[in-house]
Amino acid sequence: MKKYPIASLGILALALSACSSGDAGNATDADSLLTDDWGVIQDAAQGQEVNMYMWGGNDNINTYLDEWVAPRMKEQHGIELTRVPMNDAQDIINQLLDEKIAGKSDGSMDIIWINGENFKAAKDNDLLWGDFTGQLPNFNDYIDSDAPEVSQDFGEPVEGLEAPWGKAQFVFVHDESKHETPPKSMAELADWVQEHPGQFTYPAPPDFTGSAFVRQVLYETTGGHEQYQQPAAELEDLEERLEPMWQYLNSIEPYLWREGETYPESLAKQDQLFASGEIGMTMSYDPALAASEVLKGRFPESTRTYLLDGGTLANTHFLSIPFNASDKAGALVAINELMSPEAQTAKLSPENWGDLTALELEKLSPEQQQAMNEVDLGKATLSIEELEQNRLPELSSDYIDIIEKGWTEHVAKE
Amino acid sequence: MKRHPRLLSLFVFITLIIFIIVPFVPLLLSSLSFGWRWPDVLPESWSFRTWEYVLNDGRTWQAVGISLWIALIVTAVNILLAIPAANALVRYPVRGRWLFEAIIFAPIIIPPFISVMGIHLTFLRLGLTETVVGVVLAHIAPTLPYMFRAVMISYQTLSVDWEDQARMLGARAVPRFFHVVLPHLLPGILAGASLSVLISLSQYLITFIIGAGQVVTLPILLFPFVSGGDPGIASAYSLLYAAIAIAALVGMDAALKRYYQLNKASQGQAKGVKP
Repeated sequence: MKKYPIASLGILALALSACSSGDAGNATDADSLLTDDWGVIQDAAQGQEVNMYMWGGNDNINTYLDEWVAPRMKEQHGIELTRVPMNDAQDIINQLLDEKIAGKSDGSMDIIWINGENFKAAKDNDLLWGDFTGQLPNFNDYIDSDAPEVSQDFGEPVEGLEAPWGKAQFVFVHDESKHETPPKSMAELADWVQEHPGQFTYPAPPDFTGSAFVRQVLYETTGGHEQYQQPAAELEDLEERLEPMWQYLNSIEPYLWREGETYPESLAKQDQLFASGEIGMTMSYDPALAASEVLKGRFPESTRTYLLDGGTLANTHFLSIPFNASDKAGALVAINELMSPEAQTAKLSPENWGDLTALELEKLSPEQQQAMNEVDLGKATLSIEELEQNRLPELSSDYIDIIEKGWTEHVAKE
Repeated sequence: MKRHPRLLSLFVFITLIIFIIVPFVPLLLSSLSFGWRWPDVLPESWSFRTWEYVLNDGRTWQAVGISLWIALIVTAVNILLAIPAANALVRYPVRGRWLFEAIIFAPIIIPPFISVMGIHLTFLRLGLTETVVGVVLAHIAPTLPYMFRAVMISYQTLSVDWEDQARMLGARAVPRFFHVVLPHLLPGILAGASLSVLISLSQYLITFIIGAGQVVTLPILLFPFVSGGDPGIASAYSLLYAAIAIAALVGMDAALKRYYQLNKASQGQAKGVKP
């Protein structure tokens, strides 16, 4: 972390000449961390500077890490945790790819926040360190490692390469004062948009949330998610199976915002439309986002979230350690701490963030469970039980690619 | 005829307000509003949430410092590169001069991030990524053309006769440069430096690719909020950014004025001492 180098032109030349090939010495040391005792790891972590690379576009999340997590890391483990704001998790992967090609062994990224296609890209290109989750006491104590939402990330086997940090679930958002009975299924939605023309739309895929909405349509209009558990390439009649989904999306199109001539390019734009009252519904893959927008005064007080009768998509987001992280012991201890019941309970509170816990509630002690249940999620957020009972698994990313491309072809162009 | 200049200045004044002041009003309102929804013209209540976040965050001030620091070094390097380059290209019959000019001006036409994406791997191997030095080097590409152009134009209006005269009076190269050439170039250098500072301050992609998250400038903090959908905080950061850019320009202008004043004073003194 050289933030203020000595400024002079001569130094430029010095810096250019002083760079030699990186030392490969600590790579072997670090790998023994995958088998060392936890005590040894904790000792090694003392005094390390851990850089956590993560999306930086939410002040609540940023403040939770800077003011809740970081001081505790310092106090309890002597670790200096620095949050590094990124615009997109994709940038993290691109950067690691270049570092791999250039053979950089002393990387600055110690913890990265990823899931889904970013995880798959990182795994396929060997950008992650190794099977580390079994080393974390909090992972062993509070996580059911066989549960599908932990052992798989958008259909990709996790294999201990990343540790679950939180869960997200797809919810619809509406203004109770305007529409008392929102549509609770795709069939109802089709009627609803006819009765309320111009009040509904969804962000154009490949926007993350818009794409999730289309998958939600897929599950209901093509007969459930079970049929898509196998790789997309093995489903020969996939085209025909997707057909009812395109028909549905085209049938509601004339009744959407601006008669479906255009779609909001991002969830941010759609939320803006909802905040200004131009549309009556929005959606989110973060069940607590609406509550936090109400706290910030962007969404009206009467904002509520709800699920579909058939359940909604859910996924888990993870923390991982890149192959060339310089402070791997510190990263292990920090990830373990981020998964502690205390940190997870604080994360659940909408004042801090409102993110659902990754821990298995039944594995917590009664006091810990109580602490979690006592968190006031805000009127706009559904209870943890209701969310958990209505979870549907995600599709693997090969389907997501096909659907996103197909949407442009079948819906946007027609 | 008499009323004409007044009308003109009124027109200029109104245009200035419309194009410079007015765009800032929604930014200010959006950063201070709590629950600002259509069809309200003004927010119904106010909140300092965004400013509390932006101003209390220690990284904001660190980022301001690093942004200005980088802009300053970039501009200094640009001056050192542009003066000899302009001197050579304007005053000497260089063969293939159009080629040199084309190379220097290329970053205006070719988006600099294209070259930076290519240079990223090389910088990684040299250990220049994640350092201020690397970011400074990367910022030189898009800023140098503006500095070079400004200095070049200053040189075009400076006849070699002035230096010849100074030489005949016995001035050596260094005093000749500082007392004859530099004062003439100074307004051009200031114009180039203003552009160089502004362009360096506004770089996001280049800083992001080369700085790789370890060199955190103001745009690096601002960008996730613009695309992530918190318009309030994005507005607060934008206003802070604008304030710093304006302060940098005003500061540079004041420094030049001060220089001229000091110069006048010392010349005056010199006159008084002479017999």
